Formats: sequence, C-alpha cells, structure tokens
Amino acid sequence: MQLLVIPACASLVGLLTISLARVGETRWTWSDLVVSLLFIGVIFATSFWLALLRAAADQVVFPVVTVLACLGLLLSQRLGPAIQQSGVWASLAQRQLAYFLLALAALWVTVAVVRSFHWLKRLKYTWAVLASTLTVVTMVFGTDLGSGARLWLDFGPVTVQPGEVVKVLLVLFLAGYLDDHRELIAGTYRVGPIPLPPLPYLIPLLTMWGIAVLAVVLQNDLGNALLLFGIFLAMLYVATRRFMYVFGGGLAFAAAVVAALRLVPRVSQRVQIWLDPWRDPTGLGMQPVQADLAFAHGHIFGSGWGFGYPQSIPVVATDYAFAALGEELGSLGTVAILSLYLLLVMRGLSIAIRIRHSYVRLLTVGLVSVLGLQTLIILAGTVRLLPLTGITLPFISAGGSSLVTNFIMVGLLLRASELVRG
Amino acid sequence: MRRSLLRSTAIIASLMLIGYGVAVTQDRADPRWLVLLVVIAGLWAVALWPSRPLAPGAQVILHLALVFAVGFGLVTVQVLRAHLLDRDRILAKASDPASGVIDLRRVLAERRIERGRILLRDGTVLASDTVDSSGTRVRVYHEQYGYVAGYYSPGLYGAAGIEQAWDGQLSGQRATSWDAWLDGLLHRTKRGHDVVLTVDPALQALGQRLLGDRAGAAVLLDADTGAVLALVSSPAFDPNQLSVPLGATAEQLDRARRSFDRLQQDGRGPLLLRPVQGQYTPGSIFKTVTAAAAFESGIATPDSLYRDDGAIVIDSRVIIERNRPDPSRVAYSLREAYGYSLNVVFAQVGLQLGGQRLEEMARAVGFERAIPFDLPVVPSRIARTSDFLASQAGLAETAFGQGQLQVTPLQMALVAAAVVRDGTIPRPYLVAEVRTPDGHVVWRRTPSEWLRAFDGATAEALRDLMVWSVENGYAQPARIEGLRVGGKTGTAEVGDAAPHAWFIGFAEAGGHRVAVAVVIEHGGSGVQVALPVGRSLLEAALREG
Repeated sequence: MQLLVIPACASLVGLLTISLARVGETRWTWSDLVVSLLFIGVIFATSFWLALLRAAADQVVFPVVTVLACLGLLLSQRLGPAIQQSGVWASLAQRQLAYFLLALAALWVTVAVVRSFHWLKRLKYTWAVLASTLTVVTMVFGTDLGSGARLWLDFGPVTVQPGEVVKVLLVLFLAGYLDDHRELIAGTYRVGPIPLPPLPYLIPLLTMWGIAVLAVVLQNDLGNALLLFGIFLAMLYVATRRFMYVFGGGLAFAAAVVAALRLVPRVSQRVQIWLDPWRDPTGLGMQPVQADLAFAHGHIFGSGWGFGYPQSIPVVATDYAFAALGEELGSLGTVAILSLYLLLVMRGLSIAIRIRHSYVRLLTVGLVSVLGLQTLIILAGTVRLLPLTGITLPFISAGGSSLVTNFIMVGLLLRASELVRG
Repeated sequence: MRRSLLRSTAIIASLMLIGYGVAVTQDRADPRWLVLLVVIAGLWAVALWPSRPLAPGAQVILHLALVFAVGFGLVTVQVLRAHLLDRDRILAKASDPASGVIDLRRVLAERRIERGRILLRDGTVLASDTVDSSGTRVRVYHEQYGYVAGYYSPGLYGAAGIEQAWDGQLSGQRATSWDAWLDGLLHRTKRGHDVVLTVDPALQALGQRLLGDRAGAAVLLDADTGAVLALVSSPAFDPNQLSVPLGATAEQLDRARRSFDRLQQDGRGPLLLRPVQGQYTPGSIFKTVTAAAAFESGIATPDSLYRDDGAIVIDSRVIIERNRPDPSRVAYSLREAYGYSLNVVFAQVGLQLGGQRLEEMARAVGFERAIPFDLPVVPSRIARTSDFLASQAGLAETAFGQGQLQVTPLQMALVAAAVVRDGTIPRPYLVAEVRTPDGHVVWRRTPSEWLRAFDGATAEALRDLMVWSVENGYAQPARIEGLRVGGKTGTAEVGDAAPHAWFIGFAEAGGHRVAVAVVIEHGGSGVQVALPVGRSLLEAALREG
C-alpha cells in the first residue's frame, strides 16, 4: 500500500513535465493532470479491492507492476501528440488510458473469479482447445497490421491480438498437463544409443517444436516462436527436473532457427539488420540506428520527459518503447527499469519456490516465465543483443491485448501468492 | 571460502572481458563481442550458482532465476554500452554526412543553442547570432573583417576558419563552466562561449586599406607574445553571403549557392585566407634564412667579404647581378650584400653551405611542418622535389630565394620575429581568450615559445644585417624616426608574370617588439610596393600600442 505512493508521485510529476515541456512555460491547470489523478485513484481503489478480497497476497508484485504501467502510460501521453495516426478511434494517449482501465478491470475480475485453482486445472484441455482454435482462427481470418504477419483479429473499431491470450492459455494447459504426468520420470526408453524421454513428454515436446517452427515459417515470427518454446522448456524443466530435456529441446530449436536462416529470407534479413544496421542506415537499418542514437543521446541522465526526440524511431511506441525511455530517462532510467523487471521476475519465482501445491507452483513458474522471457526477448532486440522481434514490452508498450493479458497474469500471480506457506 | 574466491574471480574476469571487448570491438553486435558476451554469461553463471543444496523442486526454480538474472545482466551491459561507452562512436558515425543519417536531435539541439560571438580585442563583434523574423537563427558577420572569423553555414557548407576550429567552445558543447551545465539541465537556451581574437581593428583596417583591391596578404605579429595583430587577406569574401542556417528556405539556399559558385570561379581566389594558406615564392627575403644558416654554422660573419663581378656561372646556368649599387665595385661584405640584396653573393654563400645545412636551417625556422596556430596553416616548402638542393644550380637559386621555395606570409613573419627575439620563434596565436556570455573569462592564452631557430649570436648578427639594410641599404624607405627598424625587401620572379612584391621586417621601441610580413601578388618591386605597407603597419603598431 505505501509502495503505491511512488508510482502515484511519479505519474503526477511525469505528466506535469510532459505537458509543460510541450508548451514551454510553467503554467498548469488541474485539467492537465486528469490522467494522473485518474491513475492514482484507480490504483488505490485496486489496492483496496485486493485487500478486501484477501489480505494475505504478495505486497511487492502489484506496486512494481504499477510503476511499470505508469511508465507505459506516461510514455503514451508523451508520444501521443508526437505521432500522428489516422483511421484510429482515439489518440494513442487516450487509447492507452482506456486499455489501462480495462486491464485493471480484468485484474479485479480475475482476482474475484479465481478463488481456487482446482477448476483451472480441471479445465486444462478446454484451454488447449481454446488456444488452438484462436491460433487457427487468427491464421485464417487474421489481418496484417504492417508487420508482415497476420497476428490480429479485426472487430471493427478494435483489433485484438489473440497471440497474447494464447500464451496464458498455453501456460494454463501445460501446468495442468505436466503436473498430471510428473510421476512418469522412470519411463525412459531408448532408440538405438539415444535415450528418449517418456512418451507423455516426448509428444508435447515434438508438438511445441512443431508449433514453434510453424510460427517461424508461416508467420515470420521468430520472437513468438522463441517465447513459446522458451516457456515450454522452462516449465518442462521445473516439472521434470531433467536438464537433458531442456538441452535437447534447445538444440532442436537452434537447428530449426539455423534452417530458417537459410530458407526464410525475412529471417536472415532481420539477422543482417541486427549485425550491421549501418550498411543501410536510412532504410532497413533505420530503426536500430535511430534507437542507438536515442540511447547515445540519453547518456547518463537522459534528456528529460518531453525533451528528447524519440519519434524519430519508426514504430517507437511498441517495438522501441525502451529506447524512447532510454533517451528521455538516460542510463539511470533504463537500469532502474531493468531492475524493476528483474525484481518482478525474482519475486514471482520466490513465490513459486515457497508454494507447496505442485500445480500452482508450475503455473506460477509458467506465468513468470511468460513475463520474464517476453521482456528479455524484446529488450535484447532493442539493445541489439539478439535480432529484433516484434513482440511487446510487458506493461510499457502501447497495446491493449498485451496490457489486459499481462494484468490477468498478475491477478493469477497474486492469487497464487496466497498459497505461500507461512 | 574457496567458493567465494571462485565467485569473485569470475566477476573480476567478466569485468575485464567487458573492458577488453569494448576496447577491441566498435559495435555492440560485432560477432567477436557477442562471443565474449556468451563467455561472460558463463562466468556470471559460475559466480551466481547456488551453493547450498536445496530441495530438488526449489533447486530447479533457482536455476531458472539464474538464467533470468544473467539474461537481464547481459541486457544491462548492452544498454549501458549504448548509453555511455559507445556513445561517441554512435554519434560520430551518425554525424558523418556520408552515412546519410539525419540525427534530428542534434539539429534541434543546435537550433536551441545561441552560438557564441567572435570578438576582436576591443569588443568589435566579428560574428554573432541574430534571430530573423521567421524565428530562424542566422549568423551575421562584420562586413569588413568577417572573413577572419571564417564562416558558419550549418545548412549548406558546414564551417570554416575560427568558426570551425573553435566550434566546440562557440557551440557550447565543450563548454565546461557550471552555468553551461546548468543551462543544459534546466533546458534553458544555451549560449556558447564568446571567442576573443587578438586582432586590433585599427591595424586590421589600416592593413586592408593599404592593400586596397590588390591581391595579397599582410601579417602583423606582436613578436613578444606571438599574438596576431592583423591578418589581412585580399581580396576577401563576405561570410554573410555563405551563412545558411538550418532550416533555411529554398531561396536562401539558392542565393548562398550562387554566391559560393561566384567566389569559387573568381580567378583571384577570395576564399583563400592568404596569410596562412597562400603559398608564394619568397625572393630575396629568404636571404635572411640563408644568412642565418651561414652565421649559425660559422662559415661567415657580417664582415666576411665576397666577390661580385656582376654575374656568376653555376653548372652552365648564368646568374646575372642587377642589384649592385656601383657597377665598378666588386668586393662586398655579407652585410652589404644583404642590404643591397646581391644574388651572386648569396649564390656563393649557398654553395659554401651545401644543401643539407641550408635545409636544416629552413626546418629550424619552421619550414616543412604545420605551424601550430588557431587556423590550419599550409607548411612552407624548401623544395618540391627531394633532389633539387643536390644540384649546384638549384642550391644557388634557393639560397637567394628562388628555386622551388614556397612560403606562407605567416612563416616569413615568424622569421622576422625570431630575429628580433634572439632566435626563438613564438607560438603564433589568434585567439586570446574564451569568455562566458556575461564576460567572465574561462580560458586565457598563455604565450609560449614554439621553436628555437638559431642562437642569440646569430640573431644579433641578423639584426645587424636587417637594421643596416634599413639604415643604409635598399630598404631605406622603411626608416621610422625614433624606432629601431630592421627589414628586407623581396621581388620574387614568377615566370613571365610580374614579380611578387615582398617585405618582412621588425620594429622595436621601449622593449616592445613587432614583426610584419607583406606580400602583394604580381605587385612588382618589393621596395616600391610592399615596403610602404609594412612600414605603415609597424609604425602604427608601435605608435599606438
């Protein structure tokens, strides 16, 4: 509760700076601060709601998530006026605020509905069917919003990215499935000299591998493939405690990526851009070059909210949100944000360690892995540790589907934290 | 105990690897750096590996935590590299015009900065920023002396001269004062530092008036310090015509392009800053260097006698003497030979010296190297081809100032300064101090010595020669009542065209010393054309100062 004061203050000061920096004078009215006041009201109300429902939940996760969401909200307020968009129902800033309110509502509902985890586990095959249906529907009816992959469902005024929800459904299914079969460690058999995992592990292993490969080939979506497969390996490792499975799975995935490099021109192009963006700094390499410039100009302290020029990076609000923050908040800001994410992941895993209930523990690990891996993959792309992949930065990137899904996951995490043994 | 030793070793090793990697690789996605990162990740895994065995279920989650910690660690290294370590590399790459990258942040930042002024030492403003009616910053120059500042044209031609060489201070980017830092922090309009030049506007105006519309150059130095009191180049250009701000209109760009083309096509080269970039055959003024070599090596004194029959044949090349005061006289002391500028005598001195000793002296006074100055200076050349001084004829011609010699006026003014200063050459300078906009001095030039050209005895002998030349020789018109003046004229043959007229000299009064070099292109006789300009400058410098 007290920890919430920090994001509350940050949102007030941040929004004030942004609106003042645009005008260039130090005059303000309360109407400039509506967004911040709304934000503060909503997060404190949520905190009360959580306290009402159950007092024993974890007290660190929600404030950390709120700080990150606050940064995302501020970034959208800051970028909103700078980026002109047409054909959308509201400005970037307004939409992000609406998404944030929707996401908090989703959190309220999740916490209210999920009182026990038993039915979640029982419905595991429902989640699997739902996930596959969504995936197939997206592949068939989906639209392409300019990334070269059909990842969105168009419902008139709003577009939804089902891939975000599929991740959670997948975790729900895998947690239930792997928990059911965790006794089967002894059933190893051999094909020739190679020991293979027992069938209940081998089949999902192969299926996941297949899905990941399909994602790369059909959708050019290396990032999501890496994410899905990474989540699966993390959960498999925690469920079976066998390093060899992870190692073998990783090797198979690496082989698939190398093959994709050879065969799919878009993937190899991404790798080229990653390794040498300066070969074509105004065309293909424009994004990473401008992002590098943003970081370089950010230096130690950053230019300050509203004083940078992050709109020079193409698609800054989603892919390169971190670079925009790096420019305006400097190295101190980026390191602080990285620490917050790491704190969130570590807190989540420490909750998982202390949960005795094996299904919930596996579920928690899965949820934390989704958040952690997603953050790592997109950040690694932004800072050119890996090729860039177009997935969102949890809580900060502009985008409704991802924000709502992430808050549902936070709700599940909070509920799980109640099962921590005292 | 061994465990913690291992951990700290791994951490230290990883830090050293990061340092090594940043030094070796230029880019964050260089494959070698990526390989290093993999190794670093391994080291961190060693350092963070959980030591106490836990329950197996908890152990695997700890391993997962380890993977995340290492992953976030690597992202942190990458992002800090971009923020801090690679910063200059990235900015340098982007500011290279060849890359085609437009760094809008730099452009915008520059528009926010009010560039510092360029002032003369009495406060005359050579260059300053004004904001025009459309809100664009425009650089405005003094109409007469503006060219001394160079030009600043960020929208089209970049920068030149002081504007380029002192850009760091003028733009405020290298400004280190507390106020400058605070301006940046508070997003106030930044003001660059003012750069104050040593030029005296009265002397500069006099120089420009004396040269008029003749092509040529004049440098007037304070010989005590090396400060440039006047830096005249004629014909000059008006930097206002080239000053194109960022975000200029098409019409402004067009006008500037037309002006630039016109200046470039002008056969007389108005864009050339002649005192430091003009290269001329020196003619007889170079005899000062030849004499210095002769005195320094001890082969002659001012009283040594030479024979001049009116002509000399060297390697079947005939050198005819036109300068003898009395055609019936054949014996001259070196002092007289210098004062009457006798080529036949100096040809003999040159042969006596040999190519090596002459070249050594030329190098000792600063030839063949870039003079350290606030503007780039073209090095003066003793010979174009390396074996020129090996031939007897080439050596003889060089000794009296013809041959393949190419000198800048600044170089020759420094020779005169060395003579009056007991053989040392001061480091010449144009920028006296750097001030904050409110007049607080943040940096002041300390005059220093650049070279020791020759020793004090040689300098004294040369002063004897140059003063005799003014008192009794052909440079007599340079005499100034009440001052001790030394000088040497030159009439440099340049093919079939009219010769360049030269004068170098110095004047002393009350412990204050000034040196001058004047050249007027194809002006004719040094005595009649260049000398009066030099004399007036010397006199004005000492009478006023």
